Amino acid sequence: MTHLSYIKNSSKLAKAFLCLFAMTLTVSCDFEYELPEAGSITDITAPMASFSASQSEDNYLSYSFSNLSSSAINFEWDLGDGNTSTSKDVSNTYVSEGSYVVVLTVSDALGAKNTISKIVTVVKPPAPAAKVPTVLEASFEDNTLPDGTGDGRDSWRNDFGGVIQITSSPVQDGKQAAKFPSAGDRVAYQSGLEVTPNTDYVITYYYTIKTSPEGSITLNVLGGTIGSLSEVSSKSLASHVGTDQTDANTYVKVDLEFNSGANDAISLLITNEGSESRLDNVSIDLK
Amino acid sequence: MKHIKYIALAFIGGLSISCETNFLEPVPEVAVSSAGYFQNDEQIETGVMGIYDAIQGVNSTSLDDNRGVQIEYYVTEMRSDNTRTKSQEGEAAQFEEFNVTTQNGLVANYYRSFFNVIYRANLVLDNLENATAGSSAKFEAEAKFARAYAYFNLVRLFGDLPLVDALIGPLDTDIAFTRVPAANIYELIVSDFEFAANNLDNSQKNRASRAAAQGLLAKVHLTLGNYTQAQVLCESVIGGDYSLASNFSDIFYNESNNEVIFAVGYNPGVEADSQDFSAEWMNGVGRTAGVNYVTNEAIEALEAFGGDRATLSYRQDLSQATQYQVTKYLPNGEDGGADGKSFNTDATMSGNDWIVLRYADVLLMHVESILAGGQATSATAAISSFQQVRNRAGITSSVSEITKQDLLNERRVELAFENQRLFDLIRFGVAQEQLALFSGANGYGFSATDLLLPIPQREINLSNGKMTQNPGY
Repeated sequence: MTHLSYIKNSSKLAKAFLCLFAMTLTVSCDFEYELPEAGSITDITAPMASFSASQSEDNYLSYSFSNLSSSAINFEWDLGDGNTSTSKDVSNTYVSEGSYVVVLTVSDALGAKNTISKIVTVVKPPAPAAKVPTVLEASFEDNTLPDGTGDGRDSWRNDFGGVIQITSSPVQDGKQAAKFPSAGDRVAYQSGLEVTPNTDYVITYYYTIKTSPEGSITLNVLGGTIGSLSEVSSKSLASHVGTDQTDANTYVKVDLEFNSGANDAISLLITNEGSESRLDNVSIDLK
Repeated sequence: MKHIKYIALAFIGGLSISCETNFLEPVPEVAVSSAGYFQNDEQIETGVMGIYDAIQGVNSTSLDDNRGVQIEYYVTEMRSDNTRTKSQEGEAAQFEEFNVTTQNGLVANYYRSFFNVIYRANLVLDNLENATAGSSAKFEAEAKFARAYAYFNLVRLFGDLPLVDALIGPLDTDIAFTRVPAANIYELIVSDFEFAANNLDNSQKNRASRAAAQGLLAKVHLTLGNYTQAQVLCESVIGGDYSLASNFSDIFYNESNNEVIFAVGYNPGVEADSQDFSAEWMNGVGRTAGVNYVTNEAIEALEAFGGDRATLSYRQDLSQATQYQVTKYLPNGEDGGADGKSFNTDATMSGNDWIVLRYADVLLMHVESILAGGQATSATAAISSFQQVRNRAGITSSVSEITKQDLLNERRVELAFENQRLFDLIRFGVAQEQLALFSGANGYGFSATDLLLPIPQREINLSNGKMTQNPGY
């Protein structure tokens, strides 16, 4: 029973509230237009202009502009050469090389604006020139390192064998050449010769071997570097085994072609067998 | 009565002493949970299988289930100029029309599915301490492979992403909702794939392998412009255990052939282990009226550059002559009879494996790495790889120079409907140009910002304002 009377009471109360509420509603209607900003929300997503530019693959004067703006519906492009557009994304072909100031102005439905400008420098992309590696101490001469020092073989020292000897006669070029004694325990190795991948090169060098006993001198072009001689076969790009023993005083010219393959750098490895050999004047050029 | 008080007190005391964590959070004895599981190799391997299960996705008509790679064609191929819906209906049509909304359920499902792959990979990585020394590295490699694969797909689709490289809980909102630059995501992808390549062999096709890691890493490097690294990886795969299938259709209908490097495995007729995309691509066989239908532009390309591949890649819809269907993944290899939609087996539970990486893709990536961003190449190694792919398709005329456009055309017809086209266009730097033309010709609404999908709105909502949306959405 107590519960019921409570509900009755409360319903009376509710009626009273309802009346009050209705009154306030009618009253508040009069103030609606006098308080236009009350309760309105500020625009927290103002337009932000943003774009990126990319040069066309087949015509370097053509650019595509990607519109990356947010909260914007109207776009005004000034492409810097007098051309304008109101499209979202645009592309433009410039008449000539030069710097152009590209301005993008964006706005939203409230008329809020935002502007960004970027300088687009139109230049012909340089044709990628293939690298030509420079062999250090290529002719085994003294003081020919870039800093003017060196004993003619400093660039060729390694852990794979003894250091090569230097001979002054016979030579093919300059005053000195590399000498490999008959024991075959000397090794010349030079790494870090920078090349362009997948490019055809030719390496030129000169060798001579004593007329007896039978022997040979081998030059290997290796992709990358090696940590031990066991890696030679797997990393060899090209090799030449010189076996011409007709005259110990006449150098034989070798032109060895190779393709650099998947390598940014190559190494050279020179070894001999059986007979005292000499080698001189190494150079690498594009084929 | 006094005694009872003491007894009660003692009892309460006893209770409070025994209230340790294992009392309040007991390890269930009759059900399996991740806490306390992963005690040995066998159990950890089930965790590894769980990762593949997440990639495989749930064969279901509900987008509440993680559909995994089964819905990947929506967010990749149907956003390219290769395919579209048959009847331009529903949220599926948003992809071809380039007006994907932030509420698109397929986008949200793909995002969630692949972050679930990442979660499951992190779960395995977090529980490696109980693995034997012999198995630990392999489990780690498989988990990292899957994590890198998932992130590579996600970062190309969404751009900057939360970087989740360890297990996180519901309270780790900073990690879950902070978008880090794509470059940082790529660092994780590269190191994960490298670990996988160094610790796996080539014994599996439905699980990670060394060649799969190397091949996908090559694609990562091509995307990043590291051409020499990509070339080395491609050459390593080319010198290995794989070869082109002599017959193009064998790639898809003779499963685990020697061309397949990595495929997501499915089994027919088993709801938990089958896929439905084969059915969805037919006329009203699946839940949709037909999706991933072939565009006129793709037909033109296939007829012009495809050789034998044209007839093996698409066909006229036998029930609707104006429409064209993909024939690379016909349900369980059946052609659907006279009307093209009558299958003896249940097409909605198809068993066709989804090929993620195959040898022809690696050969063409090899060409791309030698092209190295240039306009043309005549390098012998590139021509050899290129020619192998064309020869198999019956195009045996010899090539002396390969232009960038030649390579893009070749990739389009060789890998048509294999979810490569969109990524190829982006990687080759021609997506905006090409898709704007395609969109204009078909009355669609492409703009440059459509190259990235929107971050699903529910992620943004859950992030409490922390997560930002991609531009244009």
